[in-house]
Amino acid sequence: MQLTLALHSITSIYPSDSTRLEGEALAVDLTELSGLLLEDSSLAAVDFEIVSPGESCRAGPVFDIVEPRAKVPGSGPDWPGILGGPLTAGMGTTHVLRGAAVTVLREESVGDSRGAVGYVLEMSGAAAQESHYGSLHHLIVIPRTRTGLPSHTQQRAYRIAGLKTAVYLARAALKVASDEIEMFEPVGPAVNGREGLPRVAYVGQIFSRQRKPAIDEPILYGADTDGMLPLTLHPDEWLDGALVPSYHNSLGGAETYFYQNHPVITELYRRHHAREINFVGTVATIASANNFDRERNCRFAASLVKWALNADGAVLTKFGGGVPHTDLSETARLLEGMGIKTAVQVTDLARDRRIESALLFNFPEVNAIVCIGGNSTSWKGPRVERAIAANPEMVERLRGPVEIEAMNVIGVANQQGASRLRAMVY
Amino acid sequence: MRIVHYLNQFFGGLGGEEKANLPLETKEGAVGPGKLLEQLLGSDARVVMTLVCGDNYAVEHQAEMIGASLDKIRQADADLFVAGPCFQAGRYGMAAGALCSEAQSKLSMAVITGMAEENPGADLYREFLYIVDSGANAANMREALARMASLGRKLIERAPIGLPKEEGYLPHGLIRDQFVVQTAAERLVDMVLAKLANKPFESEMAPTAFAPVPMPPPIKDLKKAKLMLITDGGLVPKGNPDNIQGSAATRWGSYKIANCDDLSGADYEISHGGYDPQFVRQDPDRLVPLDAMRELERAGVIGELYDEFLSTSGLANPLSNTRRMGREMAEKAKALGIDAVILTST
Repeated sequence: MQLTLALHSITSIYPSDSTRLEGEALAVDLTELSGLLLEDSSLAAVDFEIVSPGESCRAGPVFDIVEPRAKVPGSGPDWPGILGGPLTAGMGTTHVLRGAAVTVLREESVGDSRGAVGYVLEMSGAAAQESHYGSLHHLIVIPRTRTGLPSHTQQRAYRIAGLKTAVYLARAALKVASDEIEMFEPVGPAVNGREGLPRVAYVGQIFSRQRKPAIDEPILYGADTDGMLPLTLHPDEWLDGALVPSYHNSLGGAETYFYQNHPVITELYRRHHAREINFVGTVATIASANNFDRERNCRFAASLVKWALNADGAVLTKFGGGVPHTDLSETARLLEGMGIKTAVQVTDLARDRRIESALLFNFPEVNAIVCIGGNSTSWKGPRVERAIAANPEMVERLRGPVEIEAMNVIGVANQQGASRLRAMVY
Repeated sequence: MRIVHYLNQFFGGLGGEEKANLPLETKEGAVGPGKLLEQLLGSDARVVMTLVCGDNYAVEHQAEMIGASLDKIRQADADLFVAGPCFQAGRYGMAAGALCSEAQSKLSMAVITGMAEENPGADLYREFLYIVDSGANAANMREALARMASLGRKLIERAPIGLPKEEGYLPHGLIRDQFVVQTAAERLVDMVLAKLANKPFESEMAPTAFAPVPMPPPIKDLKKAKLMLITDGGLVPKGNPDNIQGSAATRWGSYKIANCDDLSGADYEISHGGYDPQFVRQDPDRLVPLDAMRELERAGVIGELYDEFLSTSGLANPLSNTRRMGREMAEKAKALGIDAVILTST
């Protein structure tokens, strides 16, 4: 397994009569792209907006953000299981438009526990500085589904539109010499020449069974996670299209972009390349809905780390809301019991800002905790020149001025390891 | 900068335990540790008044002592009220904490005290006050006063206050957000590598220990018992009459189920944003098992089911809130003579 990323730096996107890459400028034929997306019979129309870092602009609610990437023919399908057959991701060469993003909006906010605006993309001001997404050039896709479609069909249409757009854009780079090539050294439990280095694994939740996956919801190689047991994935599979997040994610969220640029996996690779560790692999797991399921999943995940990856240490992240902390901590506790050292990343749940309310577990051995804050950070988003949303009501709302909480600004309290927000005990 | 300083009888120079019953006294200027405090605060600082009180008197006549002290502090037109440091002296710490707390809230002024972490006054007041960690040993007087002086000055000037470790105060046990240079992923990997190398690491969150809840005695005769159903799954009658919030709820409701054997989804809704409510919507008995309870009632397995169920939403709710609601529900159940409660969660 050997993934090569051919990186093309993008510093502007503009509409044009043909899609092509000219230096660092990406020209996009929006008519052709629109025709491609409207092949999906769920879509009645699609609109596009282009936004740049620093622009007085706010968009939402965001469904997902994807980095434009396309695989060189012969390297396997783009988005295996969704746009192509479910073949192993992470092989061959993938072209990447670094600095660009495809941002898909929802037509309506899902209105979860964090309020009605959902996730908002901020392109200027203090909030934009705290999210990686504020520094990217976005092609915003506003899908308009046919009336009367059930929610799962709508959301699948959003998903497909985002992924197809990302591939379409990056195909413009296939025949262009890249600015930089990124390759990854071999990883895995059987890699030689790294004796004596600490063997470190990553255990990442990819779904929370607080909700059932929607009908036809693609998550792992195009399949939903019903019936899924913990499994090992090569790190390059995460980076190269094996995974997209669930339609529903909360408390800061997870985006496709940060699977493609997985902060934990890229950090482990960095340490692996620096010969500080032996990165032995990853386990993808789910958060459970009940104790029976939890006992099984946590044990299977821990066993894979021990017996398949033979790790000395593991880092763990969660997906979704509060309950997944139970699976996270139980898996860490089991690992510690097997002699495997752990560090876990949690969401701070203390709305009263008292430490006693912050954690949903208390195991003495699970004592290395990274805590993402968010409960006491919000911004007074100023009135913006461009407010982008699928419906006029949301446009008015987002135009501002509007008070936005950190957990609602996409990227700020991200659960995949990208967040720079920390809960400090004082 | 005008300072009023509080000392117990020992540090105020009046005597040891034998003088612990002395009432509040006022002295002009700095006394004992106050002289050092004045020096440490700088040339513009003056301890204009020292309040001295016996440890027993302060605890036994706390309300009166505090009232009199607040009058004096107000008259002195002070910028800063300093109490102690009290080290491990329990009664001294309790008095200092109470005084600082009252001066801070009633006079809206800067206050600072110092204690050992084990001082009972620390436990009681650390959330609301800056309490410098003085340690237990009075030989650390200079160090404790230096920290109190530096923090006190910042409080007067309303300067930003750093973290407990940087400033030397006992953690309030609170959380605030801060943007840091490293991503969560970098922090995570750093931490596991430190742990693997047996090097020290700083966890970003401390687990909290809770006192175990003792198991109640078993019900003597279930056939005669009166039972109640309580849920935190957010089941409420259509329209949510009590406006129970779907997240971090501050309210709970009590809803009639008399003359009803089976809950219908048409009559109820879910106010809870943390789980997939579709199955409860189809049949609320899946959350509040009225149908099963009625069967048990008819079969004589239980005495009777109370004719209302209690409900709130258990999502993302801080403990300060849930404790209160739990207490209110328990009081209601007790007043009604309920023998047992079945709690259902999601």
